Amino acid sequence: MLIKLTGGTVYDPASGIDGQVKTLFVLDGKFIKQPLAEMPVDKEYDLKGKVVMSGAIDMHTHIGGGKGNIARMLIPEDHRKDPVYRSDITRSGCGHAMPSTFTTGYRYAEMGYTAGFEPAILPVNARQAHMEMADIPILDKGGYVMLGSDDYLLRMLTAKKDQKAINDYVAWTMNAAKAIGVKVVNPGGINAFKFNQRQLDLDEKNSHYQVTPREILQVLATAVKEIGVKHPLHVHGCNLGVPGNVDTTLDTIQGIGGLPMHLTHIQFHSYGTEGDFKFSSGGAAIAESINKNKNITADVGQILFGQTITASGDSMRQHANRSFANPNKWVSMDIECDAGCGVVPFKYRDQNFVNALQWAIGLEIFLLVDDPWRVFLTTDHPNGAPFTTYPHLIRLLMDKSFRNDMLATIHPEAQKMTTLGSIDREYSLQEIAILTRAGAAKLVGLDDRGSLGEGAWADITVYTDNADREKMFEKPDYVFKDGELVVVDGKVVHTKWGTTHIVTPEWDNSVEKDLQKYFDRFMTMKVGNFKMSNDEITEDGRGSLTAHTLNRVS
Amino acid sequence: MSALTFTVKQETAQRVDMSPLVCQLLKDLSLTDIAAIELQNGKRKIRVDELFTVSGDDSQNIVIKNSYAKLDFIAKELQDGSMTVEGEAGAYFGMSMKSGQLTANGNVGLYAACEMKNGLLTINGNAGDFLGAALPGNKQGMKGGTILVKGNVGQRAGDHMRRGNLLIEGNAGDYCGSRMIAGTIAVMGTTGRFLGYAMQRGTLLLWQQPQLSATFNDCGSHTLAFLPILFKSFKKLDSKFSDDSVAFNRVQRYGGDMAEKGRAEVLVKL
Repeated sequence: MLIKLTGGTVYDPASGIDGQVKTLFVLDGKFIKQPLAEMPVDKEYDLKGKVVMSGAIDMHTHIGGGKGNIARMLIPEDHRKDPVYRSDITRSGCGHAMPSTFTTGYRYAEMGYTAGFEPAILPVNARQAHMEMADIPILDKGGYVMLGSDDYLLRMLTAKKDQKAINDYVAWTMNAAKAIGVKVVNPGGINAFKFNQRQLDLDEKNSHYQVTPREILQVLATAVKEIGVKHPLHVHGCNLGVPGNVDTTLDTIQGIGGLPMHLTHIQFHSYGTEGDFKFSSGGAAIAESINKNKNITADVGQILFGQTITASGDSMRQHANRSFANPNKWVSMDIECDAGCGVVPFKYRDQNFVNALQWAIGLEIFLLVDDPWRVFLTTDHPNGAPFTTYPHLIRLLMDKSFRNDMLATIHPEAQKMTTLGSIDREYSLQEIAILTRAGAAKLVGLDDRGSLGEGAWADITVYTDNADREKMFEKPDYVFKDGELVVVDGKVVHTKWGTTHIVTPEWDNSVEKDLQKYFDRFMTMKVGNFKMSNDEITEDGRGSLTAHTLNRVS
Repeated sequence: MSALTFTVKQETAQRVDMSPLVCQLLKDLSLTDIAAIELQNGKRKIRVDELFTVSGDDSQNIVIKNSYAKLDFIAKELQDGSMTVEGEAGAYFGMSMKSGQLTANGNVGLYAACEMKNGLLTINGNAGDFLGAALPGNKQGMKGGTILVKGNVGQRAGDHMRRGNLLIEGNAGDYCGSRMIAGTIAVMGTTGRFLGYAMQRGTLLLWQQPQLSATFNDCGSHTLAFLPILFKSFKKLDSKFSDDSVAFNRVQRYGGDMAEKGRAEVLVKL
């Protein structure tokens, strides 16, 4: 099947193309440079005057795993307001804050997204997370496996095991959980919560294991680097949401000693303690530190006003936030010996000082980080806002007057506490393409996605240029997934199944000897059942695995 | 003007969502428009004139005749008008009703009057489980108005109830008044097990001695001055509750549920 996309204005940062008119060819799902002369074009799309980008990639979105189902169960009132009916090609479900799996796939595709990465796969729940993501149509998916509060790793650290042993354990777990990256959530804090610690600073010891978050970050960041995983250690730091945590975050950046590290939903970690309400913006300091430290990448975790639900592995911080639950119900739980989970519904309000300032802090970080390759567009779906708000967020970034109009409506004291009004920067289309496409693909470590260049898979979005960027980005003219047309005029016209992106680092098999003993003694599952096999993802005939290359290991 | 009347032609095998046929939504519609409304029927849609013979013209006074137990969501969010059902009604009868009058002359199904806001809802037959309750997962049930049931009610009547009166002439099933936040439930007949389970505040007014859990404390016998006032407020109802002979002011009072806030009371006629 040869498809010709004629005359679109192409934004493809991965190939260095910035707004040039270009004709693209897709043969059997992948881009080719030029078809052979005798090849007939099966289908031609006239894209003159249209904006062409690759399919967007959400590198941090909670779309699979047990906490999603808890979130769904917790807010039936939210689902009742947004029922989704079946059509001849799409299945029924419900939407808004935590949509059903099918609705997640359709709505992402209808905004031009073709991949989403679940950032918190607990190894013990990996099977469920992958099965849930297997029900998300159209999108490619993948996940980061959560380590750092698991008893096994903490035992290793207490026993002063060498880095090599930890590397083996990390690689073994990544393979067992079919992950593409490693995530740490409140390093050691989730575990410390079980020993009755209600907060844990970067240099505070876990009262049982005597291990500090700083040590955990260092060994894991080292492990990720040494086993060659391209996605840097994905860090949800200490003290999420605590006023004054900007210092912890800056210290975390310094303390990693130049190792690659991705700080996620950094907006929640950028709070100072100045002002009458003892809550202020640390956005500028964080942005400056990111600009200076080239080993650091960050996604923002922007909040946007309205009802949502926060679902996090950070049971310690979620427990602390339980009094803000709206509607008033919440869940905080331990999950096996792996980690925890906290789910708290939230309603962010623009007339609430803290929420309004959180909104401004997120935007400050977006606008003050110079390098668009090292900052990523997320709302930490659904924690800051549901992913369906992305077009609105893009407009806030691209349109200064719109942003300032919105700024004028938020809590007046919050307006005084932010420098947002004085920032002139407006994102360009090319920069948005970096944030949501090329940069994200590079960060996650995807070999042949997020690009319109020769050899890449043909995930394509086509927009009609519109000065109202929200309108433009919420309704693409066409979306192609692997060269198949899936969305026309913002509506799904065809569904297919995406692949699951993984990496397969190597490990020393002897690691399993000790794990076997540990599992037999402490876990509810045998080690053999804990490991997912490839068949579990592929045997139904619609799922597939795509392994990406690793950095060369010295 | 005569009441807008929907007469069932033939019962369907699958359930019907009746929520579009409610006074405030039919206000400015002609009979032809109304006849063309499509109702969800199982996984299909069915036109109103396929299911009903439609007659009359007063959209603020609706009568459903030959009704059967598969007509769900009758009078959903009813505002200001009056609706009467001749025959049985399905689940979610009068759900989230806001004001007006709603009457069923037969039995009604599950979740009748759930999350009702205000108005008067009369059921001349029996009601199913979760009368005046909250929808699954929601935190507050009935928030105001009066429900009068002349027959019996199922389990969990008034679950999560927040405000209003729930008057039952017949018997109530298990868990009557469970998780109640506030409001009044009066039961003339018998009550089942786990009465007032996890009740926080509110009043259960009973004519028969109930079987109470250990988490309710006997607070002795009292003569309560508010009871005559309460009974007087029932005077305008067409019900046994307006009959002087059933009224009383001398009660045995039980406080509970001590497993919850414990500020609720069960008052039993002495």
